[in-house]
Amino acid sequence: MVFAVAAIGFWAARNRAMTSADGDSRALHSLPNYYGTNAALSAIVPSLAVLALWLIMQPLLIETSVSKLIPDAAISEDTTRSLMMSDVRRIAHGLDTAIAEGGMTPDEATGLRSELTNLRERLASVGVALGSDVQAEVLFAAQKYRMMTRRASLYMMFSVLTLAMIGAAYAWSRSDKDFRARNIVEKAVLALLISAASIAILTTLGIVMSMLFETWNFFGQYEATSFFFGIKWAPDFRGDSALGILPLLWGTLYISLIALVVAVPIGLFAAIYMSEYAGPGLRAVAKPLIEILAGIPTIVYGLFALLTVGPALRDYFAQPLGFSGGADSVLTAGLVMGIMLIPFVSSLSDDIINAVPQSLRDGSLGLGATKSETIRQVIIPAALPGIVGAVLLATSRAIGETMIVVMGAGAAAAQLDKGLLEAINPLEAMTTVTTRIVSQLTGDTDFAAPETLVAFALGLTLFVITLGLNVLALYIVRKYREQYE
Amino acid sequence: MNDMRIAERATHVSTRKISATGVQVHYGDTHAIKDVNVEIEDKTVTAFIGPSGCGKSTFLRCLNRMNDTIDICRVSGQILLDGEDIYDPKVDPVQLRAKVGMVFQKPNPFPKSIYDNVAYGPRIHGLAKNKADLDDIVEKSLRRAAIWDEVKDRLDAPGTGLSGGQQQRLCIARAVATQPEVLLMDEPCSALDPIATAQVEELIDDLRQKFSVVIVTHSMQQAARVSQKTAFFHLGNLVEFGETGQIFTNPIDPRTESYITGRIG
Ligand SMILES: Nc1ncnc2c1ncn2[C@@H]1O[C@H](COP(=O)(O)OP(=O)(O)OP(=O)(O)O)[C@@H](O)[C@H]1O
Ligand SMILES: [Mg+2]
Repeated sequence: MVFAVAAIGFWAARNRAMTSADGDSRALHSLPNYYGTNAALSAIVPSLAVLALWLIMQPLLIETSVSKLIPDAAISEDTTRSLMMSDVRRIAHGLDTAIAEGGMTPDEATGLRSELTNLRERLASVGVALGSDVQAEVLFAAQKYRMMTRRASLYMMFSVLTLAMIGAAYAWSRSDKDFRARNIVEKAVLALLISAASIAILTTLGIVMSMLFETWNFFGQYEATSFFFGIKWAPDFRGDSALGILPLLWGTLYISLIALVVAVPIGLFAAIYMSEYAGPGLRAVAKPLIEILAGIPTIVYGLFALLTVGPALRDYFAQPLGFSGGADSVLTAGLVMGIMLIPFVSSLSDDIINAVPQSLRDGSLGLGATKSETIRQVIIPAALPGIVGAVLLATSRAIGETMIVVMGAGAAAAQLDKGLLEAINPLEAMTTVTTRIVSQLTGDTDFAAPETLVAFALGLTLFVITLGLNVLALYIVRKYREQYE
Repeated sequence: MNDMRIAERATHVSTRKISATGVQVHYGDTHAIKDVNVEIEDKTVTAFIGPSGCGKSTFLRCLNRMNDTIDICRVSGQILLDGEDIYDPKVDPVQLRAKVGMVFQKPNPFPKSIYDNVAYGPRIHGLAKNKADLDDIVEKSLRRAAIWDEVKDRLDAPGTGLSGGQQQRLCIARAVATQPEVLLMDEPCSALDPIATAQVEELIDDLRQKFSVVIVTHSMQQAARVSQKTAFFHLGNLVEFGETGQIFTNPIDPRTESYITGRIG
């Protein structure tokens, strides 16, 4: 309806503007369509804003006024006011359904008395199940609720439509040949873009604030120094947990390191081959194939780690070497995560290598250098800052990865207190910060216990680390860009 | 004019370094070079002149197979260096380019220090026996390219931080340091002031003692000053090729005459 008004406003304003210029669109300040758009916007924006506000406010207002109808005496021991209110809503909804399905006339619905009719059964027959027999007060409140809702909806429709018409009419009355409709439309576009940008920024802020708040709570209950410097991770719900982050950080860094050792050389060499040696035909096939790796969900990589790589490493590598242990190991998770990161490194590096100007290659080849000498001595140094940026981005991806770690390396924290050998053995099971966050928050949790709140502190620490890495990466990449502009 | 006559006499005793016969170059469907025959003599400066887009750079790039790096470029015909066909499958283009060096139309210093830029070729080809030797090559090359005084205090600074004209001379120094037998120079003075230009011309004259030089230039005066032979290209054709003195004073083809006198361009 609002859009219909907007469409009418569009044509009316457009015509009025044309008329004011005697049909000569060159005499207008703006193109005719701008007048139309202005009118349409004037109709849509205020009315939709009111609509949105109304939809938020209406339930709140109705709810408070209806809940006053239920006297305290009617609230029995084993329930609360808010539970009663949800009954009220269910009954009101049930009445609506009953009317819609013909099980009840509208009059009947407003006049019903719970003493006289067996409401529970009648509603059940139209598919609305109620937990208990309906109390008189509740039924009364529900009927009131229905009425208020319906009336409010009517008002809402009416006021929104009126507003749309007023808006369109106002814009229409202003449409003449000197009116700067184009500038107004321009401002509307700007406002739209700004609001999109601010939603993104505000969400980020909101996330950070909520993390900060919970972390603050955590540090109120647990010593910050023992969190940051504690070398033991042993949560239990008896109240004497050791919640040191170091074992988890060590696990995170160790697994990421192995992943990078796998991903960086393979990804980089693949990128060099793709951009310098491969012919256009091969590149057209091989590049998408490599990038498919990036599209595989991490849970699938996790399955691969759990079912293939883990047992294979245990049977063909760990056991022949005399290590015992399960299929979970740092090495498994690191290898699989490395495979996941290959396309990251390779496609970013590929772009960066391609951005190195052809004239540098020519210059080196023209001095009698071979292709690989050119790559080693000119192209890689020229692309190095960008490649470092790519590696840092891959690192922060590795640090944030969860699924592969759970399935590949297990959920037991590194045991730093058992000596160095234990800590650096790549065949040990270990776990990372992200994995622990998940386990601390799943299951029955009490959001006031430090064992749960520690998840937020862990999350915030991780966030700060990856943020730092990303900033560093962006800084390096940007610095590199300046060189060729 | 007197100088030039001496130079002319010198050319009579020199031998053929490069001889190109029936060279055709296509970029995809564009026919960029049409049946060109040129003899480039040893210890001689040959100038290529002609209007923009006529194929001077393209032909120059054929002489050290730099066109191999362009996918869509096809070269046919025969180009002999010291009697050997450079497009023969047996020939290694890398070694060819070490012998036939090139200075490009656009300066392209590597993102390395000034020193490393110049030392690049000697290092690759193992021309220096030790560090002192390499230092010596670098200094000599920079001096010959008339840039030593400007950079001697900042050899560790990046080559990309130099001005356009300085970069151009750095690239000349880089090419000279490799000690090629033939040096191809594509508009080496296009970004240089008159003083630096004079110094580079001096360098070219000096190089002629040992090497042969091919220079592309848009300056008639420069071609007349430094070269003994001149080739005039027009729309992919080699219109006229001969002694520089004869081309500039007594051209045979009317197109050459009108280009030199500034009527086509
Ligand atoms: N890489 C390329 N791909 C396609 N066509 C090219 C390429 N390089 C040159 N050409 C074409 O070949 C022709 C000759 O170009 P070339 O660069 O040899 O001219 P030039 O004589 O050096 O001109 P200038 O004096 O402006 O440098 C031009 O028509 C150009 O469009
Ligand atoms: Mg050119």
